[in-house]
Amino acid sequence: MITSHFVCERWTWNKNWKAATLLVPSLLLCGLASADPQPRRQEQHFKVEAHPVITIHNPNGLITVKAWTKAEVMVISNRASDDVEVDAEQMGNRVDVSTHAASDNVAPDDMRADYQINVPEDAELQIHNDSGAVNVANVLGDMNVETVAAAVDLEDSAGYVTIRTVGGSFQCTRCAGKLEISSISGNLRLTDIHSIHVHAQTSTGNILFSGEFLPNGTYRLKNYSGLIEVRFSPSDSFDLSATSLKGKVINEASLTPKSHQQHFYSRFGNSLFGTFNAGRAKVELTSFDGTISILKRD
Amino acid sequence: MATITCKDVLDRLDSWMGDDPPSDVQAHLHNCPNCRSLVDDLKAIRREASSWRAEEIEAPSRIWTSLKSQLEQEGLIHENGRADAAKTAWFGGWLAELPRPALAGAYLALLIAGAFALSRPANKQANEARWLAASEDSTLPLRAQLTAEQDSFASFNNENPAVAASLNKNLAIVDNYIALCEKSVQEEPQNEVARDYLYEAYRQKADLLAQMTERGENR
Repeated sequence: MITSHFVCERWTWNKNWKAATLLVPSLLLCGLASADPQPRRQEQHFKVEAHPVITIHNPNGLITVKAWTKAEVMVISNRASDDVEVDAEQMGNRVDVSTHAASDNVAPDDMRADYQINVPEDAELQIHNDSGAVNVANVLGDMNVETVAAAVDLEDSAGYVTIRTVGGSFQCTRCAGKLEISSISGNLRLTDIHSIHVHAQTSTGNILFSGEFLPNGTYRLKNYSGLIEVRFSPSDSFDLSATSLKGKVINEASLTPKSHQQHFYSRFGNSLFGTFNAGRAKVELTSFDGTISILKRD
Repeated sequence: MATITCKDVLDRLDSWMGDDPPSDVQAHLHNCPNCRSLVDDLKAIRREASSWRAEEIEAPSRIWTSLKSQLEQEGLIHENGRADAAKTAWFGGWLAELPRPALAGAYLALLIAGAFALSRPANKQANEARWLAASEDSTLPLRAQLTAEQDSFASFNNENPAVAASLNKNLAIVDNYIALCEKSVQEEPQNEVARDYLYEAYRQKADLLAQMTERGENR
């Protein structure tokens, strides 16, 4: 009896022990899961209607936005640590994505999230990313991008684009629509542009413009120091005003001088005013002590 | 009627800009699209400037606090017992609550006021001293405000070292830019390009300080 009791007790103990070996790791896993409610990588989908608005607020990281043909927004986020949280939520036809600290005293390297976001072509974007990089491709809606140190790279846009950086560079390839760019020390590179409104300003950065000067378009490029380089083709038609207060103006365009030199600026610095072909577009280049180059496009 | 040149029109702008132009100027404007365009632009600027003035943009409380403090120091007004408490509270109080657009807007209002002060026609060499004085009058308070604002960021340090480094580096760039523009304006007070760059530099500095305020608050 005793033996049988002992056997029975041992059997029970063995059974409990086996159960425990299964339960304990499970409970540990559950515990870990509750301590980390968000996986580091997250994928979310939001159904949207035409012209959705997507806002992204991120302190640091790489943001890549691409257009696709689906009527939905896909947000894939990758957090650098558990000390940051990613929120992506929909309010009507707007999707708001943001990164914020999950605890106090987050180390700078941990306060980072990378995003890969797919949006419909006609989406409107509002992006704030202090550092890291912002890449946007094929989005045809309006967009506003503000960064401090993050570089911004835009391809194939068509909407009203406003970019503001402090030190981040800006590169735009095959952009149409309206472009308004301002920076303090970022370089601005605008290539294959097909826009009727380009206003680009940087204090100490260089500005390169290579694109078409469309009829009735205005192209205003301004910096304090650095180089402003404009590349034109023989078929372009523009009215040019180029002034560098303390720097040089280099010109390869055969300009027809203006009959009236009514421009105030001509009294100061190195200036060049004239018309190329029929003068259909208006090109204004201004620098304080930088060099302005008006060169033939290859 | 004697015909006049484009230069004549420019030289005589001061005398009739607020009213209808004299008949010879009207005749010239009728035949000269460039001058007509210029005059239309100047009239539009005047109208816009008048509307700004009419709207009486409200300066932020810090401007009044600063002015009050200055007047007290000069003995022109006397403050009651609340002055010290108010002085110590004003910066940490309203600045912490002031949203970035309001801060930038306040600076912009000052810049507009300064630009308006300088937009009075004075295109003759004899007026250079007046230009310089007007430049100084309009930029000194602004410069003082920006300096005071900047002093509060002596130890500015954002959580993100890349952001802090970029903001501090670009603030130094803008300061240098302001110094060079001020020198140019001193040398050539009538140089619109130099003044335009100077105001642009002030605007950039105001915007940069506003960004630093915002990021400092968010720490």
